[in-house]
Amino acid sequence: MVDLPRRLFQSPWEFREAAFFTAFAVIAGFAVQYAGLGVGVPQTHLPYNALFLGTFAVASLSAGVAFRNNAFVNWLGGIPLGLCLIFAIALLSLIGGVVPQTAVKPGSMQALFGLNQIFSSWPFALTILLFLGNLGLSLSWKLVPLKVKNIQFILFHAGFWIALSCGIFGAPDLQRLVVPVEEGKTTNLGYTMESETPQSLPFSVFLQDFSLEEYPPQLLLFDPNTGKIFEERSKTNILVHKGLKASWKGLDIDVLDFIPFALPGKSGVPEPADRTAGIPFAKIRITSKNATTREEWITTGSPFVDTKDAQVGSLLLGIRPGSPKAFRSEVTVQDETGNQSKATLEVNHPINFMGWKLYQMGYDQKSGRWSKLSLIEVIHDPWLPAVYLGFFMIMAGNILFFWNGIKRTEESA
Amino acid sequence: MTVNFTSAAIVAMLCWAIGSLLSIFGRKTPALKAPAFVLSLGGSLVMGAFIAFYWVLLDRPPLRTLGETRLWYAALIPLVGLLVEYRWKIGWLKYYCMALAAFFLGINMLHPEVFDKTLMPALQSPWFIPHVIVYLVGYVLLAASSVTALHNVSLQMRHKNNSAGESVSHYLALLGFVLLSFGLIFGALWAKEAWGHYWTWDPKETWAFLSWLAYLGYLHAWRYKIDRAKLQWYLALSFVVLLVCWFGVNYLPSAANSVHTYSQS
Ligand code: HEM
Repeated sequence: MVDLPRRLFQSPWEFREAAFFTAFAVIAGFAVQYAGLGVGVPQTHLPYNALFLGTFAVASLSAGVAFRNNAFVNWLGGIPLGLCLIFAIALLSLIGGVVPQTAVKPGSMQALFGLNQIFSSWPFALTILLFLGNLGLSLSWKLVPLKVKNIQFILFHAGFWIALSCGIFGAPDLQRLVVPVEEGKTTNLGYTMESETPQSLPFSVFLQDFSLEEYPPQLLLFDPNTGKIFEERSKTNILVHKGLKASWKGLDIDVLDFIPFALPGKSGVPEPADRTAGIPFAKIRITSKNATTREEWITTGSPFVDTKDAQVGSLLLGIRPGSPKAFRSEVTVQDETGNQSKATLEVNHPINFMGWKLYQMGYDQKSGRWSKLSLIEVIHDPWLPAVYLGFFMIMAGNILFFWNGIKRTEESA
Repeated sequence: MTVNFTSAAIVAMLCWAIGSLLSIFGRKTPALKAPAFVLSLGGSLVMGAFIAFYWVLLDRPPLRTLGETRLWYAALIPLVGLLVEYRWKIGWLKYYCMALAAFFLGINMLHPEVFDKTLMPALQSPWFIPHVIVYLVGYVLLAASSVTALHNVSLQMRHKNNSAGESVSHYLALLGFVLLSFGLIFGALWAKEAWGHYWTWDPKETWAFLSWLAYLGYLHAWRYKIDRAKLQWYLALSFVVLLVCWFGVNYLPSAANSVHTYSQS
């Protein structure tokens, strides 16, 4: 650090100048945002964003190499400015982490300054650009001449440069659409979050079958008038199975029998049925303090069979469908030339097709297990490989950092 | 279930309390050192065994709710204290660590959680365990780093020289940063598989990024040879950002539309 008192903007520049510069950039960004009536940064698509980014990278690297001994350039690529920019990015992200990032009334303060879409606002874009410039300069000095001992630095900083720049500049090229498709039907229409009009995709999706697996149903004691649910004594989310015992104050329940897939029988006793039509039935014994012990069958019901609960005084005891455990769609995807691919889509198991990724997203929740509709999200992200390259470089840098960190501390200890 | 947890927690807390007492007396009577160590370690082993037992009972990793992650925290943080003692011969950190662990168990005893075996489809992923464990261990190390930094600040105020303490807080922060970076990237890679995009500036993600930036700033300030004594303040306070990320996000106005609110409880 500097020993003698140094006036502002007297060389060598350091933190105070960096703070001024950064504050100026952020304020200028907000001013531009305001002047543009809150419209935000224009979206640039391939190939223009790639051209811009490439030019910017080459420019900052060569400026770093060419003006290696220039005090101003040294400052531009130095840690003080880097720290101030990190602080500014943190501050802007803080706004994004506190103010809900949702659409608001145009013309309101939040919209004019872009507070509700901070990550695509001018101040954010400007700060990121300066940050990339700063990072690029510092990289140029470690890249030329290339030395083995700088590998860790290069992996970290270049990795972050690539991931951040491609993630942000590539964002306008990200296509994210939801394709609703019904069993037995084919569609090639997808919807974006912003618009009601569908876009046609370069491929079509045929839905053979949608199926949903549930956890066992839950046993609930509730007041039908108020809807209040009473907590069971052990504070357990009770999943019904044969032999289950549950108790509330003055009330004991035994599950004597449980059939996960059944249909109502003639004599009041349910009969096992197949997986597609059957619904859960449980035979319970109710032992309560001020009534005789009795046994009865209850069921979750379905769109085709009525729900049946047991009356316990003024309360009801019932079973309700469990939460979804897995859901999947059997689909056939086909491109315009007739290339086909059959696949099963499931959460966490997307498939690739012609550079698109297809995800199981949702279904008709009202119908639950009987949903004939599957919502499939399709995503095209040409910048993904670049971002992942950055991620893997950072992770490689991390491993080296971890290793060297241990070694260095051993030496100093 | 609650009964089992309460007894396990009480046994663990007793182990830590008696272990701490023995260790304090052990400064004069070295014969007490070994039992003190065994008891302090025993507390974590009890919690470790409870986690294993709970895992089997739940049929899923107990990493879904905040209460469940506090179990891990309670088991792991005393280990960091013991490790620092073993490695740098600094004994006081373990007391803070055991007290913090007992505090976390105390929260769980006051707010018993509903025992719930279900795990929503998005969490059924091979990424779930590595992502959460890496973060947990990272948080444990950064918590220990903050406690160390706070202790360093108090030593400075009493004008005691303490460069060993400064290198401990630095080393813990460095390790914590490495794990935080892995956690962030694992999270992004998982999000791509589960939700379709690696980064959506969701409030939870934004706060994770913020806490990562806080430590990134620390590392560069340290590199730039900013007064290391002043940086102890910075380290002590950075943990506040982490805490917001961990517990606080659920209460912020922006959290209403987070996809990660499943951890709410
Ligand atoms: C704002 C732009 C940045 C600048 C100007 C900058 C500059 C530097 C410099 C000059 C060093 C010291 C290297 C050495 O002595 O060999 C360094 C170290 C380091 N940087 Fe950065 N950096 C920036 C951003 C980042 C980012 C975004 C990351 C994370 C991906 C990062 C991670 C690291 C790490 C882990 C170290 C090693 C710290 C240590 O050895 O203690 N830096 N950086």
